[in-house]
Amino acid sequence: MKIALFIPCLVNQMMPEVAIATLTLLEKLGHEVIFPAGQTCCGQPMTNSGCFDEAKNTTLKLLNAFKGVDCDAIVCPAASCLVAAKENFHEFDGSQEAQEVISKLYELTEFLHDIAPIKTFSRPVAAKISMQMSCHGIRMLNLATPTEQMGKQRFNKVEAVLGNIAGLEIVYPARIDECCGFGGTFAVDEGAVSAKMGKDKAQAHAATGAKYVVGFDPSCLLHLDGMIRRQKLPIATRHIAQIINDAL
Amino acid sequence: MSELYTASGSKVHAHKADIFCRDETRVDWHSKALWALREKRDRAAGSLPEWEQLRLLGSQLKLHTLSHLAQYLEQFEQQCLSNGIKVHWANDAQQHNEIVHGILAKHKVKKLVKSKSMLTEECHMNPYLERHGIEVVDTDLGERIIQLANMPPSHIVVPAIHMKKEEVGELFHQQLGTKAGESDPLYLTRAARAHLREKFLTADAAMTGVNMAIADQGAIVVCTNEGNADMGANLPKLQLHSMGIDKVVPNMDSVGVLLRTLARNATGQPITTYSSFYRGPQEGGEMHVIIVDNGRTEMMKDKILAESLKCIRCGGCLNTCPVYRRSGGYSYNYTIPGPIGIAVGAKHDDTNSIPWACTLCGSCTYVCPTMVPLDKIIAHHRRLKADAKRLPYGKGGYMPLVGRFMASETLMNTSMSAARLALRVLPGSLLKPFSGAWGKYRELPVAPESSFASWYNKNRSR
Repeated sequence: MKIALFIPCLVNQMMPEVAIATLTLLEKLGHEVIFPAGQTCCGQPMTNSGCFDEAKNTTLKLLNAFKGVDCDAIVCPAASCLVAAKENFHEFDGSQEAQEVISKLYELTEFLHDIAPIKTFSRPVAAKISMQMSCHGIRMLNLATPTEQMGKQRFNKVEAVLGNIAGLEIVYPARIDECCGFGGTFAVDEGAVSAKMGKDKAQAHAATGAKYVVGFDPSCLLHLDGMIRRQKLPIATRHIAQIINDAL
Repeated sequence: MSELYTASGSKVHAHKADIFCRDETRVDWHSKALWALREKRDRAAGSLPEWEQLRLLGSQLKLHTLSHLAQYLEQFEQQCLSNGIKVHWANDAQQHNEIVHGILAKHKVKKLVKSKSMLTEECHMNPYLERHGIEVVDTDLGERIIQLANMPPSHIVVPAIHMKKEEVGELFHQQLGTKAGESDPLYLTRAARAHLREKFLTADAAMTGVNMAIADQGAIVVCTNEGNADMGANLPKLQLHSMGIDKVVPNMDSVGVLLRTLARNATGQPITTYSSFYRGPQEGGEMHVIIVDNGRTEMMKDKILAESLKCIRCGGCLNTCPVYRRSGGYSYNYTIPGPIGIAVGAKHDDTNSIPWACTLCGSCTYVCPTMVPLDKIIAHHRRLKADAKRLPYGKGGYMPLVGRFMASETLMNTSMSAARLALRVLPGSLLKPFSGAWGKYRELPVAPESSFASWYNKNRSR
C-alpha cells in the first residue's frame, strides 16, 4: 500500500525516533511510505481548551498537507492526535476533499490490526512490557474494550498486534486503563493532580517488574517518562512502533 | 496568586486541588476508597449479561421522557392529585424554599427530618429554613455526619467519604457525647442510630428527595440503604418530597430498568436496601410534592448540555474519575462535584475553572448507567467558556499565541530547535524554573538532536 505519514508536532520535534520506527516498520512490511510536507499540529491543544477560533488555521494547515495526496492510507503513531485531527477536520471543513482525507486516517495500531495485519515477525524481542492503555486510543478509537464496558465480546487490538512477537511478555499495571494524567494543558494547569496521577501510573507500571512501559500515545509516554525519571523508577518508556520495528 | 481568586473569593479548581494534594497519604486513601466502589461496580455490572443493554434502555427512556417532558409532568401531577397528593411547582431555588417554608409554617413545624436530597442542597434549603427557626435534621448517616461537622457533601452518594473514622469519632465525641478516642464504626453507627431515633420520634414533618417520579402512577420512589426515608415519612403526619423536573419517568417498567442499574453502579449492590414507593398521604396526613425547575429548562435548550439531565445521580462517574479521586469533592465550586458536577455546575462556577478539572479520559461516559456523554459535555463547556471569553489559567492570553505558533512551520521549527538545544546543553537546574508546572513535578524531556522532518529530508527525500 501507499502510505502517507501523519507525524504530529510532538513526535516530529521531541520524539523523532518514534516517527523513524514507524516509517521503517511500514517499509519493512513492504509499503511505500511518503511524508507530505507542511504538517505542524492537529489543533488539539487549542480545541481541547475550547479555543476553536485559535485552532482553525493550524487544523486547516494539516488538512491541506494531505488534500490531494495520492495514497491509500494516512497513518499516525499517536492516538490522541489522530482522534483530534479527525474531529477537527470535520469541524472546520465539510468538503468532499476533507472527507476523503478523514476516511484514510488510521492510528498505527489500528492500521496494523484492521487494514494491513503483520503476517510474521522475524526477530524475537526478549522483554517484559507493561502496556499503557491510553484513554483516547481505548475509549475513542476502540483499540481495546475499556474496563468500564461489560459484555462478552471483549477485544484488545494492541495485544493482538504484538501477540505473535517471540519472547515478548505483555503485562498490565493495576487499574489497567486509568488515565495517566497528562491531558494536554491539564499537565500544566492542574499540575498537582496531573503529577499525582502520573506518579501513581508510573509506580503501577514499575510494580509489574516490566522493562518497558509501552504505549501508542507519545504524549502520555513523554509525561510518564518525566515522572519515571523524577522518581528514579527502574523502567523506561518505549513506543509500540519501536517494539514492532525491533521484531521485524 | 491573585489570579487564582475571583472577586467573590472563590478559588480555581487547580488551587483547591493543590491544597488537597499536599497530604498525599489522604489522597491515596481517598482515591483507594472510591476506587473500591468502582471495582464493586464492575463486579455487579459484569454479573448481568444484559448490562450494556440496560444502559442503552436507561438512556433511551430518559431521552424519551425529557423530549416529552411537559406531557409526563402533567400526567404525573394529575395522577398525584387523584391520589390525594398536593403538587407544587417551583421555578427556582428561592421559590422552592418559600413553598417548603410555607407548608411547614402552616403546620407550625419546628423540627424537620430529611433524607437523600441533593436538590435541597442545590437550593441551599437548610440554612433558609434554619433562618426561619426550623430545625432541619439530615437523617442519612453520611449526611448527618457532615451536617454535624457543618460541611456540605463531598460526594453525592457517600457524602462524608472524605472523613476518616477517627475524625468521625472525634466529631461524635464533641457533638453527641460518645467516648473520646473511639473510632469503631459499629460503636459510632449505634450512637448515631440512637441519636437519630430520638429525632425521628420527635419530628413534626419529614422530607425526602425523589429518585424517580412515576407519571402514570402518581407515585414517587426513594432509595435509601438505612431505611431513614421510611422512618421519616411514616412517623409524622406531614411528608414533603422535592424533585427536579428531570426525575419523572413514564411508568413502572422504566423504574424497573433504572432501579437495576442505580445501586449496582453506585455501590455495587444488586439493589438499594430500601426502594420505597409513596403514592399518597397516610391516613389523616398530608403528602406534598414540590417539582423544581431551577435552570433545568434552560439547560435543555442546548442539545449537548440537555443530555446531562439523563443523570440518575448514582455517583459512578465520581468514583471512576481519576481527577475527582485525587482532588476531593470540595475543589469543584459546586454542590455536586466530579464529572456530573462539571456538567450541571459549570455555569455556576465564577472561577470558570471546573470544566478544566478533567483530562477528558472518557471513563465517566463509559461508566454512566444512562450513557450521559460526560466528556463531550465537559469539552462543550470549555467551548462555551472560550466563546464567552471566560478562560481560566491565562488561556485567554496565551491561546491566540499558541494558535499562531502551531500554524507556522517556520516559527515552530526555529523555536523548537532552540528549545532542543537548550534542553541538551543547559543543565536541568537552570531550565527548571522556566519550565513551569511541567518541570516542577517531572524531569524535563531528553531532547533529540534534530526533528523527524530534518532526518527525513536527509535520509529519504529524493
